[in-house]
Order: sequence, then C-alpha cells, then structure tokens
Amino acid sequence: MSPAVPLDRRTALLIAIGVLLAAALGTALGTGFRLATRLREDIAAVQTASTLQAYPRELLREVSGLRERLEVRAYVGRSLATLRGSTHDFGVRLRALAAIDHDPAQLASVQRRWRGYRDELAPVLGFRGEPYVDSDAAATRLSGDGHRLYARIERARLYALANARGFDADLATVTRGLQSSASAAATRLRLLLLGGVLAALVLAAIAAWLLLSRARHARAAQEARERTRDILRTVREGFFLLDADHRIGPVWSDALGRMFGREDFAGLDFRNLLAGLVPEPTIATALKYVDLLWGERANENLMKTINPLSQVEVKSTDPLNPEPRYLQFDFHRVTGAHGVKYVLCSVVDVTSNVALARELQESQVGANAQLDMLIGMTRTDPLQLASFLDTADAGLKLVNAILREPARSDADFRRKLGGLMRELHTLKGEAGALELRGVADRLHALESRVSACESRPALSGDDFLPIVAKLDELVEYLRGIREIGARLARTDAEPAASPADAIAPILEAAAARLAQDHHKALRVECSGFDAIPRPLAKPLKDCLVHLVRNAAVHGIEDPDLRRTRSKSDVGLVRTRFARTADGYELTVEDDGAGIAPDAVKAAAVRAGLITEAEAAAMDTRAAIALIFRAGFSTMSEVSLGAGRGVGMDVVARTIHALGGRIGVATSPGKYTRFKIHLPAAADAAAAVA
Amino acid sequence: MLHERELKVFVDGTTHFFEVAAEQPASIGSPYLMGEPLALHEYSGVIEVSGRREGVVCFTAPKTMLAVMLMKMHETDFGHETMRDLVGEVANTISGNARRNFGNDFRISPPHVLCGDTPPIEPRPGARTFVIPIHWRSHSAKLVVALS
Repeated sequence: MSPAVPLDRRTALLIAIGVLLAAALGTALGTGFRLATRLREDIAAVQTASTLQAYPRELLREVSGLRERLEVRAYVGRSLATLRGSTHDFGVRLRALAAIDHDPAQLASVQRRWRGYRDELAPVLGFRGEPYVDSDAAATRLSGDGHRLYARIERARLYALANARGFDADLATVTRGLQSSASAAATRLRLLLLGGVLAALVLAAIAAWLLLSRARHARAAQEARERTRDILRTVREGFFLLDADHRIGPVWSDALGRMFGREDFAGLDFRNLLAGLVPEPTIATALKYVDLLWGERANENLMKTINPLSQVEVKSTDPLNPEPRYLQFDFHRVTGAHGVKYVLCSVVDVTSNVALARELQESQVGANAQLDMLIGMTRTDPLQLASFLDTADAGLKLVNAILREPARSDADFRRKLGGLMRELHTLKGEAGALELRGVADRLHALESRVSACESRPALSGDDFLPIVAKLDELVEYLRGIREIGARLARTDAEPAASPADAIAPILEAAAARLAQDHHKALRVECSGFDAIPRPLAKPLKDCLVHLVRNAAVHGIEDPDLRRTRSKSDVGLVRTRFARTADGYELTVEDDGAGIAPDAVKAAAVRAGLITEAEAAAMDTRAAIALIFRAGFSTMSEVSLGAGRGVGMDVVARTIHALGGRIGVATSPGKYTRFKIHLPAAADAAAAVA
Repeated sequence: MLHERELKVFVDGTTHFFEVAAEQPASIGSPYLMGEPLALHEYSGVIEVSGRREGVVCFTAPKTMLAVMLMKMHETDFGHETMRDLVGEVANTISGNARRNFGNDFRISPPHVLCGDTPPIEPRPGARTFVIPIHWRSHSAKLVVALS
C-alpha cells in the first residue's frame, strides 16, 4: 500500500502548480493588456501623425489662397476663419500626438517647426482690421492693414514653403517611429500570447500527469487495501496491533473473531480480551510483558523466552465444544521514525500441537496398557479370544457399514446412532466378560463419543470425525491383539466342538468381573448350552452377556442386603437352554431384588421415555416392558457395566429378529426370570443374518 | 493411528477452499474407514506425505461438480486443463493448510493430478484409510486420507 505522506505531497504539488498556472496566466493577461493598450495608443498616434502630415500642405494652400484673395480683393473673412480652424486643429493634434508618442525626441523637430510656423501665422490669424478701401476713383484697393496683412501672409507662405519638406520629413519620421513601436508592441503581444499558451499547456500537462498519477496511486492503494483485506480474511492466525494503552487497533484478521467468538475488537482493551479466558494473574503478567516491549532497550528475542502467553490454555466459549483450547501469543515491535509505534500480536491456535504432544504421552500409556493386555491375554483362553476377535471384527465392520451409509441431514446422521450404540455395547459386554479391559475401555470411549452426539441439537459429519478416529484406533488395537494372540496360540490347540462351548466361560468371567466391580458376590450356572445350534450361538451369547450383566448389576443385591433378606451372600444367576416341542427356550433367572415396577416407571419418566400421566396409567406388565426400551436405565451414572440403556434393547431386538419372544416374571425381593422362546426356524434366521 | 485433529486439518483445508474460492461452504458427510478399493471420480488431486506420517491425501471430484465450481468462480473456460488446475488447487490448499498446522514434521509433496479412468485406491498396508464425503450444493466429492 502507498503511504499517505506521498499522496499529500502530490496534492500539495498539484495545488502549487495550480497557483503557478494562475500566476502565469495573471501575469500574461496583465502584460498582454498593457501591450494591447500600448498598441492601441500607437495605432491612434500613427493615425494622428498621418493626419498631421497633410496639414502643412493644407495650411500652405490656405495661406496661398488667402494671398490670392487679397490680390483680387476678394472677401478674406471666411478664408481667415478656415485658416484659424486648421491652425487650431493642427495645434490640438500635435499636442495629442505629443501626449501619445513615446519618443519625444522625434517630435521635437516637428514642434519646433510648428512653433515657427505658428509665430509667422499669429499676426495673420490675429488680423481684425479691414483689408480693403473702396473708392470710386481707384476702385477697391488694399488698405494699410491690408498691405500689412498681405506682407505677413507672404512671410508665412514663404516660411511654409521653406519648411514644407522639413515638416513632411519630420512627420514621416514620427509616423515611422510610431509604426515601428506599434509593430514591436504587436510582436511582443504575439510572443506573450504564444508563451502564455505554451506555459498553460505545459502546466496543464503536468497537472494532468499528476492527476493521472494520483488516480493510479489511488487505484494501487485500493488494490493494496483489498489484498491486505484478503490476507487478513484468509490467514489462520489472529493478527492485531496494540497501542501503548493496550488497546487493539482498528485492523485485525478474521481468524481472531473465530478464535475469540467476538467481533468488537476495535479499541478493545487487551485485558478485556483475555478476561474470563485465562486466569487474572496471567493477564496481569501479560500486560507487564507488553509494557516491557515498549521499552526500546529490551531485546525482543530474549523477551520471547519470558512470554507468559507463549502457550496458554483458554477456556472454551462454545457450549457444544467445552474442551479448552491452547493459544500461542507472539508479540513483535513495530517501529517508526520516533521509536515503537505499536506492538503486533499474532495468535495461533496450537490446540492440535498440544493434543499431539498429549497423544504421544497417551501412546506411552497405551503401550503400558498393551503390556497389561498381554498379561491379561495369557490368562484368557485362546479359543475364547479368537472367538471374540472374530465377533469384534464382524461387529466393527457393521459399525463401519453404518457409518458409510450416505448422510447429509441431521435426521440421516441421527438414524445411525442407535445402530452404532447397540453394536458397540454388545461388543463391550463381551470384552468385559473376557476381562479384555483395554478393548472394553476403548469401546466405552467410542460409545461415549456416540452418546455425546445424541445430546447435540444438530448433527453433521464433523460430529462423526471423532467416532471414526476412535474406531480406527480400536481396529488397530484389535489387530495388535490378534497378532499377539496368534503368536501366543498353541499350535496344537483342540478346536472347539461348537461356538456355544465358549459361552459358559464368557458368562462366568463376566460375572466374576462384575461382582468385583460392584462389590457383590455371585456365581453363574449354565446348563444345556451344548444343545445350542451353531447359528444361534452368536446371537444367544450376545443376549446372555447382556442378561447376566443386567442381573449382576441390577438384580443381585450386595451381601449385606442379602443377609437381611435371609439369602446366601453369594447371588445365583441360572442360565438354561433347552429344546422344546416347537423350538427353543432360554431361561435366565437370578435370585436378586426383582423388578420394582414403580422404580422402572420413575426411571422411564426421568429418561423422558414416558410422561408422568402415562406412567400413572401403566399396569405392571407394561411397566416391566419398559426395561427393553432403548435409552432406558435405572442407573444414574454411566459405567463400563451399565447405564446407557442399551443392553436390554439389544436383547429385545436380537430376539425379535430371530422371531422369538421374551417373557419376564419377577417377585420383588425374591427373583427375576427372563424366559426366551425361539421358534424352530430361528437357527435358520440366525444363519441368514 | 491418525488422530481426529489431524483428520480435521485436512477436512478444514478442503472446506476452506470451497468457502473462499467457490463462495459457498461445503459440509462433510459421514466419514468411514475404507475397507475395500475405492473408485475415484474423474479428477483427483493427490499430495504425498512423509515425515512423521507416511501416505497420501487425495481429493477426488466428479466433472459436474468441478464445472459448477468454475461457474461460481466466474470462470468461462470449462476445459480439461482448467478442471485439472482446479482440482490441483484444492489439493494445494489442503497441502498449505497441513503445512501451516503440522509444521516441519510433515513433509508434503507438491500436488499432482489424476484424471480420466484411474484405477481405484487400494487400502494401504499398515495404514488405515479414511474416506470423508465432501458435500457442496447438490454434488459430492471425497477426501481420502491414507496415512500411517
């Protein structure tokens, strides 16, 4: 951008040229006016001189005529009057010429001759007598006065004759002088006009060049401003200037608005910018630091090492993304001729970098967890582990397939959540049962990401980026387990007779872990699992894991309570599979607290699944059926074991998909029994699924 | 493993281009992991990444989408070379954004453009491949991030 000062200089130059142009034009006009006046006067003088040239001959003719009239004794009064008039006119014109003529020396000779002429004519012109005497004897003859007049006329005539040539020559000289003067004045006037026009053209050309230059500079300045605006609009860093009073200048980059969620930066105090985002002591230190930058002696590079805002945690102002961000402030002096003008502040969002550093640390923790996993795997039956990994692989492929379904609207994205939750929850239950804590933790984290989406007012693809990233992490983790498992697996391991063989150990392990986690004592009894058809093994295993977990968490009481109810300290969960005449029957029964319909209804109202009026109108059967609704849980907090309201929903959906039905029998304080009836064709349905 | 924030940098680079150059923001669809070969659209801008991460990032878009983008950018030439330039420019923006955010830890090659019938992208061994649909107006492109 062109600086403002040269533009002002251009304006001043333009004004100076305007003044010069006006002065030149004024001078030219003034001089021209004087020259034109002189020219007009010279022309008038030439005309007068030309007129005067005729007078000597005219006077001679009149004097001669007067003499002749005296000789023939004619009347001379009129001729005298004419001579007086001519003489007077000549005198007047000569004086006028003397007043105009700029070279009196040339006219002096004419005036001298004229004075002589006038002196000779003076007695003639002053004649008042009677020139004739009439007598009968001698007829008319000259009187005495007439003789004297005649003699004076003759003298004047002789003077005129003697000076006629001189008059002519003198007046011709005067006329030529005047003509020459007029010609010179005309030439000067032409030159002046030409010079004025040329000067005006030159000045006009300079003015036009300056105007064009100014327009070009203005255009360049405008383009520069637009480019600066584009830069400020595009850069990802927040830029602004601070004055000595810590106030933000009128220009800043758009990224600043995105970083701080405000736009009122002009004149904003730096303290107010940071207020509420960083602790007050940090703000105070930062202001002192900025003050130090105004001291020119302070070394800027050294000062960077003590910048209190070099990486500062900033509280989030976004209610949808409450995680803190990390900003890096950098300060640079902007100096001018009189020292520091501003402090340029750049702000960069380094949350990604901080997160990456943190990830590095986390990966170290992950490596330790992997070691724990390795130790855990050595305690897990390889066949159960392999079965789980196959299940997990299939489950996560299904999760990815759900993610892959095209989505643009909130409704499209929201439709995915239920399916994702069910798949992840099922896998988490099985991982927990096998005590694969690392897998269960990762599934729990992934589940939490999905769950967080449910509470968002509007969903978009951005909300699913963390989900797919966590899914990737889990897939990678499971791949690692599979590799380790393959190395650890015994090459001579006996293959399981049926996938159902793996179910009982999974349930027993799950029960043991849940008992430990919830400070309870319980055992699981399994019977008839060898009769589970191969296609039903996977879906029934999923259901059993959820039902056993449900019994362990919600059904079985803690030992103290059981004692007050005259029960054994160790709770019992019985699971039994049997063929029936028309299909299969799976029973899961616990000797726990039973289901309290009122507690179920209250939990459903809290979860927003039903209204209080609907709850009041509900019978016991309908109330108990609520436990199969998605999102239902009586737990107030989410844990690895329960609380998301997904497990029983998965059971209901799985059984429904197999064409079966679920019956629930319960007695408060005594037991809860789930009886699942599956049609004979259920195994075929499971095989297709 | 690729972290969400790294993915976001590539996604932001892409959507930023649409917001600035095509004067209309793009949104992203549901991201997923690429499990099988992925067919590319007619034009694809590819950048190769090395350093802390190894792999490729590819923006692939159909011709119809690029034509509408050019129209929005007040271009009058919808020829093959202009479309190549445009898709290369998108890849360049992604690359610039990544450089700015990741610094010297990521070495990013200048973008190169694939067009016409190109073989599908295969899952890279040792690298998870993310596919992020990019929606702009009624058109869809894909951002493929395959880094290890």
